[in-house]
Amino acid sequence: MSLFVRLLTLLLGAWLTGCVSLATDRLANNLSQAMLNQTDPEIVRSGAPAYLLLLDSLIAQNPDDQGLLYAGARLYGAYAGGLVNDPQRQQRLTDKALEYARRGLCPETPGFCRTMGEPFETFALALAEVDEGEIEGVYLYATSWAGWIQAHSEAWSAVADLPKAEAMLQWVTARDPAYDNGRAQLYLGVIGSQVPPTLGGKPEVGRQHFEAAIAFSHGRDLMAKVEYARHYARLVFDQPLHDRLLNEVLEADPVANGLTLSNIMAQQQAKKLLQDDYF
Amino acid sequence: MLARFAALLLFYLIVLPLPAATTLKIATIAPDGTSWMKQMRAAAKQIEQGTEGRVKLRFYPGGVMGNDNSVLRKIRVGQLHGGAITGGGLSAIYADAQIYTLPFQFRNLQEVDAVRRVMDPEIIEGLHKAGYVSFGLSEGGFAYLLSNAPVKTTDDMRGLKIWIPEGDEINARMFEALGISPIPLPMTDVMTGLQTGLIDTIASSPIGAIALQWHTRVKYLTQVPLAYLYATLVITEKALAKLDQADRELVTRVLQETFSGLDAQNRQDNRQALEALQGQGIDFVEPSMTQRQEWEKHANTMLQSLSSQGLFDAAMLKQMQQLIQSARSTSSHP
Repeated sequence: MSLFVRLLTLLLGAWLTGCVSLATDRLANNLSQAMLNQTDPEIVRSGAPAYLLLLDSLIAQNPDDQGLLYAGARLYGAYAGGLVNDPQRQQRLTDKALEYARRGLCPETPGFCRTMGEPFETFALALAEVDEGEIEGVYLYATSWAGWIQAHSEAWSAVADLPKAEAMLQWVTARDPAYDNGRAQLYLGVIGSQVPPTLGGKPEVGRQHFEAAIAFSHGRDLMAKVEYARHYARLVFDQPLHDRLLNEVLEADPVANGLTLSNIMAQQQAKKLLQDDYF
Repeated sequence: MLARFAALLLFYLIVLPLPAATTLKIATIAPDGTSWMKQMRAAAKQIEQGTEGRVKLRFYPGGVMGNDNSVLRKIRVGQLHGGAITGGGLSAIYADAQIYTLPFQFRNLQEVDAVRRVMDPEIIEGLHKAGYVSFGLSEGGFAYLLSNAPVKTTDDMRGLKIWIPEGDEINARMFEALGISPIPLPMTDVMTGLQTGLIDTIASSPIGAIALQWHTRVKYLTQVPLAYLYATLVITEKALAKLDQADRELVTRVLQETFSGLDAQNRQDNRQALEALQGQGIDFVEPSMTQRQEWEKHANTMLQSLSSQGLFDAAMLKQMQQLIQSARSTSSHP
């Protein structure tokens, strides 16, 4: 049994380039912005693979370039989570995203990275020692890991890693609650809304993260409301909240700098969720 | 004209009654999106299509209807028609439903299979007599002791803060007879209890430990099955009796197939989850066979005294133990 549902599309908003290579910096930035502000997801779905190949080749030339590795982790994670439906492709693409994130972060934090497979307590102690300056790498590793776990959720060994990815996201929000315009909060909202209260879950904690994600994005991140409805409102069987959130998404203007593509997809998903005979 | 129309209408009302759709309301603690719920929803779809919309299943997942006891209460007052209930929970309507979950009975899954082949139908029959129809038992797996200090002997357990589910009289008595005071807590408080140190030792199936993230708070797993867990979907006979015969047969067939699939799936999942626990750095400790036999003997003495108090049927326990003995004597397993 995999206890958690889709973490899909969350990575989309993290789709900002981190390319440091001067020659490619502007191109990468412009491409990322063009995709993020696209109103037609199909164009991005078809066009993104070319950019993935471009990034792969740049990383091949500069295998230790942290900026390129982080851009690779972001793009592969976002593409796999938001735009690919085939489960096997999702697995392969998230493998790559996690690998790029690892290669970007681990040279900076070798001691911490060695505890990834250790018991949770050892891992948590090492995480607490990670330098605050690594926030981007920790966030990217955590979100790539969450995407990887989602894609591999049929495997219990993957599900067993979720508390570690969650701890890394908590590490991020403890240092910067608004990180990535509230997207770190959004991940925590989804993860916190998996276990029902009857089994000892604390969905109220998930709810607080969702509220924070909405507040930090000034209500412009429509995906925050969709995931709030899909995970929290459904878990606690709160239909008025569910329908209110989704109707707000449908009524909102999806165009928002850096969020348009994600918002358009949020509206598509909101429509489907409202049509479901769930309650 | 009007009279003719009325007569016609009456004719249709008498001869061709429009079958009223029946919605069976079913509660489960499994959250939506889990493979359990996905398969239940697939079954519901098959039933709705097969009965041309006459029978619908409406689920209340994620424990929104409460724990086993409150679901059973809501079934009794007619607010629900059925629920997925654990073997332990079912003992409230049929005491012997908990027979598989009695402590220190099984040593391996081969013994479980030998028992279930014979006794599943008896448990299903017992539930039916109590007014509930079960569509087959679904394995929950063995519960193992998960702790923060290695447990190889009874002495190792002393000083540990061992959780037992609130209201679990059998395990409470078993631990007390060993000179250990377990800490009863409702399921809702286990994670908090582990976090705050109120408890440091739990019993859980591997899938339960990972799904509820209890595995992050323990370091050792004692490789002795404490109990065999299962759950089943029950729907009241009263609700099913309202369906016409063909619809009822279809509902039964689809749900039986679904439960048989879940039963097999859960076995695989637990095997995988056990490996995942090892992969997370949890140490597996193996008590000696002498110690295991001592625990078994202790449990059986205590169970004998409990069966004489009517907590479950002594004859049924005896039957289960004979089946286990016979499987044990023909198997290469210890």
